[in-house]
Amino acid sequence: MFKIAVKDLKLFMADKRAMLLTFLLPIPLITLFSLAFGGSGKSSEARPTILIMCDEDKTKASHHIVEQLDSLKEIKVQLSSLDTIKRWIGNGDEDAALILHKGLSDSMDAGKPLPMELIYDKAKEMQMGILMSALSGNLMRFAGTKSFEKKALANFDKQNPGMDSAMREGVHAMIASNFSGGSRDGGKDEPMLKATPMEAQKENSPGLVQAVAGTAVMMLLFSVAGLGASLLQEREDGTLKKLLFSPLSPSNILFGKMISANLVAMAQLLIMFLFSWLVFGLNIKQNIPGLILMIVATAFACSGFGIFLASVAKSRAQVQGMTTLIVLTMSAIGGSMIPSFVMPAWMQHMAVVSVNYWSIQGFYDIFWRVLPVTSPVFLMRVAVLLGIGLVLNFLAVRLYKRNIKSIA
Amino acid sequence: MELLQGLFIPNISPTLNDNIHFMIKVENLKKSYGDVPALNGVSFEIKEGEFFGLLGPNGAGKTTTISILSTILEPNEGKVTIGTYDLKKDPGQCKRTIGVVTQEIALYNKLSAYENLMFWGSLYDVPADDLKNRIAETLQLFGLADRQHDKIETYSGGMKRRINIASALLHRPKVLFMDEPTVGIDPQSRNLIFEVLEKLHKEGMTIVYTTHYMEEAERFCDRIAIIDKGTIIAQGTLNELKNTGGLKESIAVTFLNLTDLVKTKIGTFLGGEFKFEENVLHSYTSNVKTDLSRLIIGCSEAGADIVNIEIQKVNLETVFLSLTGKQLRD
Ligand SMILES: Nc1ncnc2c1ncn2[C@@H]1O[C@H](COP(=O)(O)OP(=O)(O)OP(=O)(O)O)[C@@H](O)[C@H]1O
Ligand SMILES: [Mg+2]
Repeated sequence: MFKIAVKDLKLFMADKRAMLLTFLLPIPLITLFSLAFGGSGKSSEARPTILIMCDEDKTKASHHIVEQLDSLKEIKVQLSSLDTIKRWIGNGDEDAALILHKGLSDSMDAGKPLPMELIYDKAKEMQMGILMSALSGNLMRFAGTKSFEKKALANFDKQNPGMDSAMREGVHAMIASNFSGGSRDGGKDEPMLKATPMEAQKENSPGLVQAVAGTAVMMLLFSVAGLGASLLQEREDGTLKKLLFSPLSPSNILFGKMISANLVAMAQLLIMFLFSWLVFGLNIKQNIPGLILMIVATAFACSGFGIFLASVAKSRAQVQGMTTLIVLTMSAIGGSMIPSFVMPAWMQHMAVVSVNYWSIQGFYDIFWRVLPVTSPVFLMRVAVLLGIGLVLNFLAVRLYKRNIKSIA
Repeated sequence: MELLQGLFIPNISPTLNDNIHFMIKVENLKKSYGDVPALNGVSFEIKEGEFFGLLGPNGAGKTTTISILSTILEPNEGKVTIGTYDLKKDPGQCKRTIGVVTQEIALYNKLSAYENLMFWGSLYDVPADDLKNRIAETLQLFGLADRQHDKIETYSGGMKRRINIASALLHRPKVLFMDEPTVGIDPQSRNLIFEVLEKLHKEGMTIVYTTHYMEEAERFCDRIAIIDKGTIIAQGTLNELKNTGGLKESIAVTFLNLTDLVKTKIGTFLGGEFKFEENVLHSYTSNVKTDLSRLIIGCSEAGADIVNIEIQKVNLETVFLSLTGKQLRD
């Protein structure tokens, strides 16, 4: 089994084209995409986001919040009336607006949940995540105290009941980190001032994450399909038949292939992330266990895809055709080429059938939503990827066992 | 694994329940591919150390037989024993007993000859050091030691065939199956392969060799089975086969013209079997040498002008022809 894997790796390394495709081609592609999505690591240079606001409270406190937000370099506040705002969003002209409802000042004094509301276009949930994360911390800082934290979370949940749970977790994490100080359940006498400077929460730009994860998964699918095709190559060359003469069991031959496909896939992902770290400053050290988990899960799902394809197809030419079609389709709907959030809702729903979607979302979880490894949302994505890999590998073994009989 | 030690000298454990040591016993093999029958009840036995030929035209069922014997194809019916092992019950042991050289060259083109041999040998759990030694020996044997680190894709067809054969020998099988190993090959490589085969045979390896070249079968094989349309139509030593169907050598004499008078004159001095076909006399004989001169003298005395004389020996070709009514090679 391992002998097969070692041999496959040797063959793979002897094949310059495959090596190039696997390890070099993705690099210019990542570069290209990350430029396209404006994903350099330095978010400080980004243009300020226009934040539409409506101040219904019209108190000193509410005014203060507006001013403070406006003073942030990444946000430029534009005030408007509630009716206008609702019309804008309804028409899709604007994505979102922050409403400070009446009674804000009183609630602040009383330490009650703040009547703030973010209304946004349902179709643009993703952008909301970005905005939310930028806002929540600052808002709480201006409005508040540490004691607000739990209320803020509850408030956020109540106000946004329809939000995707991953997004919610991301925002929660954001909010929590902005209340900072670290010891959430620690001493009660802790200073109530927010201590985390903006610098410290510098996450990876979503554009960069998108570029890296999207490209990585797509290129991985292509290269594992090539590896899978080596099974068919062996069939055409007669070496598969010759392997069957040996004491190896037929399944071991396939398992060997799976091992080598997984190893190559993991190496490819690792190299891409290292590259993105060195060149684009993607902060991969932020969550190393999470990254390892995602790399393993993604490699497993993708290599399962490659092996499955090889056992379905009848010839290498067929694999190539099928690969191009399936990988491009999956990449397109799964968000490898264009981020899922800019796609129409129906397409976003369809995305769940692609490996790309789960993988890219998982990488978002790590690098941008900054979810902990133990987060159920993140673990769920890992589980889905492993599940996809398991099913594909299982089907591949079944098909292979049936096909192997006709090889003699 | 101890059984497989020694330089190509199979150390065969005797079949205890048999008086004669059959290395391979094939009983009533039947196989069809869908509706296409490929084997219709093939049986033969091969003694240990025997060079056994399976001779037959294209599509006769040679590869099918070899595929079944080498465990990768399941027969519809029949029983195969290799050494002491039942093929069906103990395919693993059978696989370790045999080496298979396929009709097609099956090597990794992107790897060197050495790497290929290393890989194929490693599948049989030969200890690494032993394997290295054996590879060196084998490369020497096949005259490819100096090219061992070149990629297979740079080899000529004949060189690839040599490595293809070498790769089946590294685990020192007791039995070697070779399926038409000399198809499409240059004379130099062919001779080298023949030399190696003779060496292996001398060292006691049991060899099953399929071919549709009767010259090869005649040259090497201790015993031959002739197979056609999935049926063994004759088997035995070369001499036994030559005697099947009462075939005799014949002298064919072509005359300028033959009158009835001349025919009767010739008929009186010719003993044994003969027949006239137009201007040709076929005289069947068991001793061409003495009969030939007698025939020529007799004919000229009878006043017949001889145009051509042809000696028709009995060989596998004529045996095949007489058994099937068709040529071995079309
Ligand atoms: N995979 C297959 N599917 C269907 N029919 C097959 C298959 N393999 C062989 N046959 C048929 O079975 C018969 C025996 O074929 P086989 O390959 O054993 O012949 P062979 O003696 O090895 O011929 P050759 O000298 O051409 O190699 C032929 O009629 C062939 O067409
Ligand atoms: Mg054949």
